Amino acid sequence: MYDLLFLLGLIALGYISGTLIEKRHYRRIHEREKAFLSLPAVTVKSVDYPDEKIASAHLVTGSVVISIDYFKKFLAGLRMIFGGTVKSYETLIDRARREAVLRLKEDAGDADVIVNLRIETSSVGKNAHKKSVGSLEAVAYGTAIKLHPDA
Amino acid sequence: MKYVPKDIRDAPNPNVTPTHPLKELIVLLSGALGCIVGAYIVLGFLVDWVVPKISFETEEKMAALFAPLDLQRDGSTDVERRLQAMVDEIQDSCTHLPYTISVSVADEPMINAVALPGGRIVVFQGLLENVRSENEIAFILGHEMGHFANRDHLRGLGRGLVLLVVSTALFGADSSVSDLIADTITITEMSFSRAQETRADEYGLEVLNCSFGHVTGATDFFEKIPKESDPGRFGHYFSSHPENQRRIARLKRIAEEKKFPEGRRIPWEE
Repeated sequence: MYDLLFLLGLIALGYISGTLIEKRHYRRIHEREKAFLSLPAVTVKSVDYPDEKIASAHLVTGSVVISIDYFKKFLAGLRMIFGGTVKSYETLIDRARREAVLRLKEDAGDADVIVNLRIETSSVGKNAHKKSVGSLEAVAYGTAIKLHPDA
Repeated sequence: MKYVPKDIRDAPNPNVTPTHPLKELIVLLSGALGCIVGAYIVLGFLVDWVVPKISFETEEKMAALFAPLDLQRDGSTDVERRLQAMVDEIQDSCTHLPYTISVSVADEPMINAVALPGGRIVVFQGLLENVRSENEIAFILGHEMGHFANRDHLRGLGRGLVLLVVSTALFGADSSVSDLIADTITITEMSFSRAQETRADEYGLEVLNCSFGHVTGATDFFEKIPKESDPGRFGHYFSSHPENQRRIARLKRIAEEKKFPEGRRIPWEE
């Protein structure tokens, strides 16, 4: 009985804190995406600038780990019974990917363009305890290219 | 190729379904609850359907799963041998049930006896202490054997029985799944309907008449149960006082209708 109450408490806490944190996170993502609008990050492998115009090219990465909460896990568990899209994880993955790209852009400094952008996700800390709430990692990496100012 | 920055300000996010998480929760939870309620209702119907289909071999196998009382000890006491002899005699001359019935005494204060799957009758010490004649005991044993005859002891296990039969068929009786299901079934909380008790009473009366030649002592046990006692101790021999009176009256009426004779009580001494 107490186990059940404890679990319900965790689910309720997960809903309240998870929602608050998510809202705040999305607000920050929107602000920063707007600020970074002038720095393109694209998936093309190369740009058609002549070599002499390129001042530097280096690897940039951005990664983030976001924990799921018991509420999301509970919803996903229920989804497992019926099948269908796991909506509760969608925001989680969306946030992680966008946050990773934003951190990558922050890592790029004064670059002009980021090419060959790749994003990967994996789960973290899931195998340590099978019952524990897992975390989601998103890594974004690409090549930051800086052009000569007179280009 | 010109780079066009994506304006994210007001565009809806295609990667996130705009369903409110609480709505999702309610939809999924009601679906899950619906499934559980549905399964509960279906299992309720399945119990009566499945009981006649359980072979005695399957019942033997399932019986191994129920060891809620210390019945696996070696040897038997004098009282147990005496009760066993009574049951064997009843089986030989009167009932011929397709069970190998074994009787054991559990050292519990409950004034009750139960019929377990696999043909085991457990008599509680509390009952033996309150019994004065062999006739009373014979009626009680006959009553329990009536539950075997009607297979009430399987019905009494309730909805869990259906799951248990399925898992025994699929995984065998010694699987962890069967164990898990058996654990959820509390033997001592077996519930019998009023109709099942009445039929078992009638059976017990027939048994008593067959083995003693008369039915004296059939209602002794019900009659001596004191009014102020905690009814919980009496199990299915004493659900509530008016119900008890009804059972006594019914037994007396049947004895009259069938012209069962009266006779002498054989005292029971431990």
